[in-house]
Amino acid sequence: MTEQAILDAVQEIFRDNFDDDSLVITRSTCADDIEDWDSLEQINLLTAIEKKFAIKFKLADVRDLKDVGDLLDLVARMTA
Amino acid sequence: MAYTYLITGATSDVGRALIERLLAAEPDSTVLAQGCGDVEKLAPLIEAAPGRIRPFDVDLSDPYKVDTFCQLLAALPAPTHFVHLPALPVVNTRFKSFDEVRFAKDWEIQVHSAVKLCKAVLPAMSKARFGRVLFIQTSYTLGAPPKNTAAYVMAKGALGQLCKSLAVEYARFGVTVNCVDPSMMETNFLKDTPDLIVQAAAAENPMGRNATPADVVPAMAFLLSEEARFITGVTLPVTGGSAIV
Repeated sequence: MTEQAILDAVQEIFRDNFDDDSLVITRSTCADDIEDWDSLEQINLLTAIEKKFAIKFKLADVRDLKDVGDLLDLVARMTA
Repeated sequence: MAYTYLITGATSDVGRALIERLLAAEPDSTVLAQGCGDVEKLAPLIEAAPGRIRPFDVDLSDPYKVDTFCQLLAALPAPTHFVHLPALPVVNTRFKSFDEVRFAKDWEIQVHSAVKLCKAVLPAMSKARFGRVLFIQTSYTLGAPPKNTAAYVMAKGALGQLCKSLAVEYARFGVTVNCVDPSMMETNFLKDTPDLIVQAAAAENPMGRNATPADVVPAMAFLLSEEARFITGVTLPVTGGSAIV
């Protein structure tokens, strides 16, 4: 799966999660950029991503994610 | 002494573990065990202790069914102990998405049924000058609760206040009323909780893990015991140190 394909799928999850069809994310998007992105939404996002890509995160995998780029790289590694 | 335990939410992992422990320790005791749509979970215990567990399938979210259950109880040996465990599973939801219908149902299951059942069992306990009432709360009611758990902590908080009120009112009759407050416990109750939340709670716990029924049931058994006669109105945290009062 290409990084762009992962980004597109993750963007859809973000749009659905934050109920904002116009939301555009980039590799540098982080929690400070989206008002509602708190620890609970982080879990909701990760849970939706797990379902979408049929993967299972461990806490250690996701604890140090700083931005969307880190998240995309993690998904890419786990789906490779 | 032959005790009669009324245990609501008896089909839960904690309920079954408690029943197993109590019946093993007290050969003459019996259990009136309430579940809702899942009383078959009690089958192994019933087979292991024939005639000592009487299952009741009652939907505690329906106050009329609770009333009927209370009427049924009046025709049975009066409970010496009442242990109230039922609750809807925790759902982590922001307050802006607060589900009032679900909250009302949980309130019926946790709080209103507790009030009705206490009204049903406390008179006989008072008359006998002996009784034990025990509610299961949550460590979320100790200090600042986690975000997004308003519905759950409100119902549990109400049980805590019911416990204190009954404790002072019934102390002189030899009836104690207490709560146990476990931290996150790894049971089927967490089926709607994302794994990452469960893992994070374990990582943050000073003991490096979440609670299990085997951690919590002994504390419950103690508060239910005869020797805990002078302990009433307390909230006993069973948290591995994650919440300390």
